[in-house]
Amino acid sequence: MAVTANLAPTGIRAGRRRPALTAFRKAVTRKPGRLIGLIIIVFFVLMGICGPWFYGRLAVDPNALYAGPSAKHWLGTDFAGSDVLQEVVTGARYVLATAALSAFFTSLFGVTVGLVAGYQRGLTDSVLMRLTDFVLTIPGLPLLIILSTVWSFGSPWEMGLVLGVTGWGGVARAVRSQALSLRERGFLEAARGLGLSRRHIIFKEMLPNIAPYATMQLMLSMIAFVGAEVGLFFLGLVPFSSTNWGVMLNQAVFSGGAMETPSALIYLLAPLICILLLTLGIVLFLDAIDELFNPRLRERV
Amino acid sequence: MSRPKPLVAAIAVATIAATALSACSGSSAKKSNGGSGGGGTGGVFTSIDANNKITAGAPMNPFNAAPNMFLGYNQMQLGFTKNDPSDPNALLPGLAASWTASDAGLTIQLQPGAKWSDGTPVTVADIKTSLAIAYTQGTAGPVASAGGTVVAGSNFEVSDVKDLGGGKIEIDQQPGVKNLYFQRLVLTSTIVSDKVYGGQLPADIWTQIAAVQGTDQAAAGAAATKLAAEGKTIAAFAPAKDVSAGPFVETRVNPGEALLDRNQYFYAASKISPKQVILRSYSGNQQIWGYMNGGELDFAPYTSMPTNILNQVLGAGYTRVDAPSYVSASIAFNEKQAPYNLTPVRQALAYVIDRDAVTKVGEPVGGIAAPTTTGLVGSQSDSILSGDQKAALNPYKVDTAKAASLLQGAGFTKDGSGKWHLPNGQPWTITLQTVNGFSDWIAASTIIANELTQFGIPTTAAITADFATYQKEMAAGKYAVGWWLVALGPQTDKAYARIYGSADGYSVTGGQATHNDAAPTNWEHTPATYTVNGQSIDPGQLAAQLSVTPVSGQAPIVAQLAAATNQELPMIQIWNYTHVVFTLDKRFTNFPKTGQDALLANPPGVWMMQGYVQGK
Repeated sequence: MAVTANLAPTGIRAGRRRPALTAFRKAVTRKPGRLIGLIIIVFFVLMGICGPWFYGRLAVDPNALYAGPSAKHWLGTDFAGSDVLQEVVTGARYVLATAALSAFFTSLFGVTVGLVAGYQRGLTDSVLMRLTDFVLTIPGLPLLIILSTVWSFGSPWEMGLVLGVTGWGGVARAVRSQALSLRERGFLEAARGLGLSRRHIIFKEMLPNIAPYATMQLMLSMIAFVGAEVGLFFLGLVPFSSTNWGVMLNQAVFSGGAMETPSALIYLLAPLICILLLTLGIVLFLDAIDELFNPRLRERV
Repeated sequence: MSRPKPLVAAIAVATIAATALSACSGSSAKKSNGGSGGGGTGGVFTSIDANNKITAGAPMNPFNAAPNMFLGYNQMQLGFTKNDPSDPNALLPGLAASWTASDAGLTIQLQPGAKWSDGTPVTVADIKTSLAIAYTQGTAGPVASAGGTVVAGSNFEVSDVKDLGGGKIEIDQQPGVKNLYFQRLVLTSTIVSDKVYGGQLPADIWTQIAAVQGTDQAAAGAAATKLAAEGKTIAAFAPAKDVSAGPFVETRVNPGEALLDRNQYFYAASKISPKQVILRSYSGNQQIWGYMNGGELDFAPYTSMPTNILNQVLGAGYTRVDAPSYVSASIAFNEKQAPYNLTPVRQALAYVIDRDAVTKVGEPVGGIAAPTTTGLVGSQSDSILSGDQKAALNPYKVDTAKAASLLQGAGFTKDGSGKWHLPNGQPWTITLQTVNGFSDWIAASTIIANELTQFGIPTTAAITADFATYQKEMAAGKYAVGWWLVALGPQTDKAYARIYGSADGYSVTGGQATHNDAAPTNWEHTPATYTVNGQSIDPGQLAAQLSVTPVSGQAPIVAQLAAATNQELPMIQIWNYTHVVFTLDKRFTNFPKTGQDALLANPPGVWMMQGYVQGK
C-alpha cells in the first residue's frame, strides 16, 4: 500500500516528462543541422562559462607582435603579442552574457507589454502599442553610439540593459498578435467565466502558450544583439578590452592592416568566425525549436 | 598603431606651429635648388594632405575651419619653415625671394614675376590685406597692451606695410614690441589675393588695428571685438573660384578628391613638373595603406603603422624617408587627484613602465622610446644639455623594486594578493584614458595596463569618443591619468609651455608668467614651484622666459626646466615621434631624402617650388 502510494505519483511525473524530452530529442536529431546547431550553442555557452577558468591573466609579448600560429599560440598573436585563442575564448563571456541579458530584458518588457496589450485591448492596447511604436522608431546603433559618450558599457549588464530596453518593440508586437488570437480561444473564455483574475489569466493561462513563440523571437533577436554589441566595439566607441571580439576586429582592421597584409588575418578571422558560428548555431537550432513548438510541423513529421 | 588623422594632424600642426621660423637675414633665403625644371611634363601627382582633409562643400578659403585649400600647392606663404631648432629663424623662400630683418621689422623682396593664377601680379596690397586678415583670425595682435616690450606666444604685431618699389616691401613691427619670432610669424602667414579678399575687409581695418595696438584699453578692447567679428565673416567667405599664387590652382573638389592644375603664372612654373595634382580623401590610415599597396600615391604622409604594413609598402616600391619630429607621447597626471599629487607615486610609475616595450607595440615604426623625461625630445635635449647635466638626469630604467620602495616610503601597502593599496587603505586602481582612433595610444595603453597590473595596480584603458571631447574633459579634470603630447618643439619655449603653460594654470604676458591654479584650462595642477638641487624654481616663469630669450641664451634655462621635469615628472615621456613619410619613385623622381630636414618639414608642393619632384 505504502509502496503503491509512493510509486504512483512518481510514475505520473515520469510519464509527463518523457514525451517532452523525447519530442525534444527527436526534433533535434531529426536533421543533422539541428544537432550541429545545438552543439555549437552548447560549445559557446561552455566557452563563456568555463573558458576563462583555463587561462590566467592575458600575457603580452612585445617581441612577438602578429606572430603566426604556433604550438604556443594556436591562432597566433595580436598587436600586443597576446594569444588570440585566449582572447577569443575569454571574450565569449561578455558577448554571450550581453546577448543573454538583452534577451532577458527584451522578454521582460516585450512579452509583458505584448500580453497585456493583446489581452486588455482598448485604451491600454492603444497606449502600449504607441509606446511600442515609439521604441521601434528608436534607431538602435546610433542611440548606442550617443550613449557610449556618457556611459562606459564596461559591464554586460549595462550593454544588455540598453539593448534590451531598446529592442523589445518587435517582440511586443509579435506577442500581442498571438495574444489577440489566444484570448478568443475557448479555454480563456472558460477562465474568464470562472472569474479567474486578470493576472492569473495573462501569466498562468496565456504566457505558457505564448512562451515557445516568444522564445523563437528572442533567439532571433539575440543574433541582432550580438551584431549590435560587437559593432559598437568595432567602431571603437566603448571601453577598450583586448579580449572583446568587437575590439579584436577593430584592432585587426584599423591597426593591424588585416585588409592589407595577411599577417593580421587570423587575428581578424578568429572573432569573425566565432560570431558567424554562433549565429549559425542559433539559426540551425531554431529549426528544431520551430518544429518542437509548431503543432502543424509536428503533425507533418 | 594606425593613428587616424586627428592625431596626425595634431602632431603636424603642433610641430609646424611650434617650429615655424623667423627669417633673419637674406642669407637664410638661399634657395636649395634640387632639380631641373619640369614645366608641366610630369603627369599627375597623387597624394594625400594629412593635415587638411578634403571637406565636400567647404569653401576654397584658407581661413575657413575646414578649407579646401592645400598648403604648398594652392595656399601660399612668403616663406616656409625649416624646422631647425638651432635657428628658428631659418626659412625656405616662398613668395618672398629674400628678406632682411631690421629694428623696424622686416624688409622682403617678392619673387620676381610672382603672379596670381588670374595673371595679375602679387603686390604690396595682397601682403597688406593678408596681414590685416591675420589680425581678424587671431594670429596677430593684440599684445603688450600694458607697455611690455616683448611678445610671448604666436602672435605678431604689424603696424604698417609699405611699398618700397621694385617688389621690395617693408613690414613694420609695432614700435616698442620686440617679438623674437616676428619675421617667422609674418613670413609664414597665409597670403591671399587682395582682389578676392580685400572687399571682405572694412575700409578702416588698419585704423582698427592701430586701435588694438594703442594704449587706450577700452578702444583696444572694442577694436579687438570688432576684428574678431570680421574674422568670422572672412572665415565664412566662399570665393567663386580659386585664385592662387602657388604652383597649382584648384580646379574642382568632390568628396573623394581635390584636383589642382598647374598654375601657368606661378613665378617658378618651369620648375613644376606635375601638370596636375590629385589629393585624395581618406577615412583612416588603413585606407592610405590600401592606396600605397596599390602604388597609387606618389607621396604618402606620415601614418602610424605596424611593422607588417611597413614591410608591405616597402615591398610595393615605396622609399621610407625620415625627418625629425619634435613631438613626444606621454602619460600625464592630474595632480589634483590623489595619489598623483605625490612625486614618489609618479616616479614609481615611471620605474614600472617599460618604455621600450610600450614603444614596440604602440609606435614600432614612427617612435623611439624616450630615453628619459625632460620635456624635450631626446635629440633636442642632447644638443642643449651639457654632459654633466645629461648624466644627472634619472633615466627611470625599469626597476620594480625601486618603484615598490618609493611607494612604501609614501605609505602605500601591498596586500597578500600582491595588490597595492593607497595610504588610506583603499585599493589602488588606475584608469588610463586615451582617445578613440588614436590606436598607437590605445595599443600602448594595453601594454602599460598590463605592466601596471602585473606590478599590483589593476589598470584598465578607457577610451574617449573623440579628441575634442578628450581635451574638453581633460580640461574639466575628469581624467586622473591620460595621454598627452609634449615636447612640441623645436622651439623650447613651446615645448615647455606645453607642460608649464595654460594646461597648468599659467598665463604669459610679455615674458612674465602668472599662475592661477583655479584657471579653467588647468588640469595638471602641478605646484607653482619646485625645489631642484636645493633651489626653488618656478617652471612656468622659466618657460615664459624662454619665449623672450634667443636660442643662444636658452641653455641655462632649459637645463633647469629639464632637471625639474625629470625629477618631478608632471608627465612621463613614453616615446618620441619620428616624421616618417613615403615616396614612390615610379612616376616621379628626385624626391627629398632623409637628412633634408628643412624640405621634409613641408608638404611636397614646397619641394616642387624648390625644383624637386620631377616626372620620369
